[in-house]
Amino acid sequence: MNLSFFRRFGRAKFLTPKDFLLRAAVITAFFLIAHLAGLREYTSFLSGTVASPDMGWQQAAFFGLVYLILYFAFVLLVPILLLAALVQGAIKSLLDRR
Amino acid sequence: MKADSIHRYLLGTASLLLAAGVWLPCVHLFSRKSPDSFRCKESIAPKARELAARHLELWTDPALRRQELEKMRASNAEWDFMGRSFLVWSLANMGLREPASKQAYVRVMDQIIDETIKLEQEHGIYFFLMPYAKARSYDVQPARSLFLDGEIALMLAARRTLEEKPGYKTLLTQRVNLMVERLKHGTLPIAESYPDECWTFDHAVALAAIKLADRLDGTDHEALPRDWISMAKQKLLHRESGLLVSSFTLRGDPLDGPEGSTIWMAAHCLQLIDEDFARDQYQRARKELGRTVCGFSYAREWPKSWNGPMDIDSGPIVPVLQISAGASGMAFTGACAFGDDAFLSSLAATLDFSAFPSRRDGRLKYCASNQVGDAALLYAAVLGPLWETVKRESKR
Repeated sequence: MNLSFFRRFGRAKFLTPKDFLLRAAVITAFFLIAHLAGLREYTSFLSGTVASPDMGWQQAAFFGLVYLILYFAFVLLVPILLLAALVQGAIKSLLDRR
Repeated sequence: MKADSIHRYLLGTASLLLAAGVWLPCVHLFSRKSPDSFRCKESIAPKARELAARHLELWTDPALRRQELEKMRASNAEWDFMGRSFLVWSLANMGLREPASKQAYVRVMDQIIDETIKLEQEHGIYFFLMPYAKARSYDVQPARSLFLDGEIALMLAARRTLEEKPGYKTLLTQRVNLMVERLKHGTLPIAESYPDECWTFDHAVALAAIKLADRLDGTDHEALPRDWISMAKQKLLHRESGLLVSSFTLRGDPLDGPEGSTIWMAAHCLQLIDEDFARDQYQRARKELGRTVCGFSYAREWPKSWNGPMDIDSGPIVPVLQISAGASGMAFTGACAFGDDAFLSSLAATLDFSAFPSRRDGRLKYCASNQVGDAALLYAAVLGPLWETVKRESKR
């Protein structure tokens, strides 16, 4: 796999299966980075608790919110994007066969 | 716009809508488990065991405990106190469920009780109260908080129910006498938790503690809980929902409407006082506050007929759906206490999906929660045997 693959992939047309797959991949990558960086701990802002007393409330809540958004994007949007890519691919191949 | 683009947009949007229509109603299936994974009727459920392991670790590792308590005290000193209470009550129930582990639980219970009472003696009642408690003086002097007295009394009674400890007998009797004296002080059986601020939650806990103390020591305070229920039915029911309001003055005037962070635990405690009234309150809370969306259940902090302010008890409220972390956590207690398996199962799905469980070496914590939240969940998962000791006695 080389850079030209990503460039080709990055130029996917809006609302095409490739576009959906690219978006799913980007969300997954960002979520994994946030997860590995340990931002999950900061979701304690949901219970009104600062994850680290040394850190300000706003900064901790910001990290928590970033994780929350990426998590829900990962568990809700990624499967939808993958399914949509599958559905559109199937419809297209049906139409092409006709 | 080219016909090709229009076609692509239409097809793309339709695919997304179809995919969302398929996926969203199915998400809960991945988090949904049998209620037995959270709560077993006879033994201790795996999840409860993992939650307990995490709490026992906190009480055997002083550095870890300090770190956790600092986090909570930075927001609310009450949570430090309630985290202790819920853990002691949980361990009592676990010991009754699993007598082989009783001694290990009793050691931690004693450690928590002794340290809590010591802190209260050294720093006074304000150590475990929110700062506004000092804003004005208590109407009834000397200042005492039913919040502290009730929960400490219930800790002592729970410990003695699991295994008698002579040193705690006097402490429990003193607490009960103090509470009874305060509750009989005015024309209404009401006592302050904060200056002229009285809470249904605290009264329900105090009455449960008095009931347990009566069973342990053969005392008789039967009239007091009866009078409280009668007063509550007259003065503390929210007209539109029929639910008990959460806070009120010494004259019994409501300060707030019903709250999810109060009513579930209150209904559970009132099971020891008036089972029918308690069940009625649970069913009303279920109808007014319990919600299920796409297979995930949660609780609102307020019924539709009451608009309250977001506060430290409710936690942040998710707009539109009105999801309250505090009320949803406490809803577990209601669902477990009243055997509502369907609600429990979908609450547990929400917990696993959105409270960010974190497991390490057989220990479980929820990142979105805190020590008191996790201790309250543990209590919900193991409650039952402690209340049964009183219910069995009443049936005889």
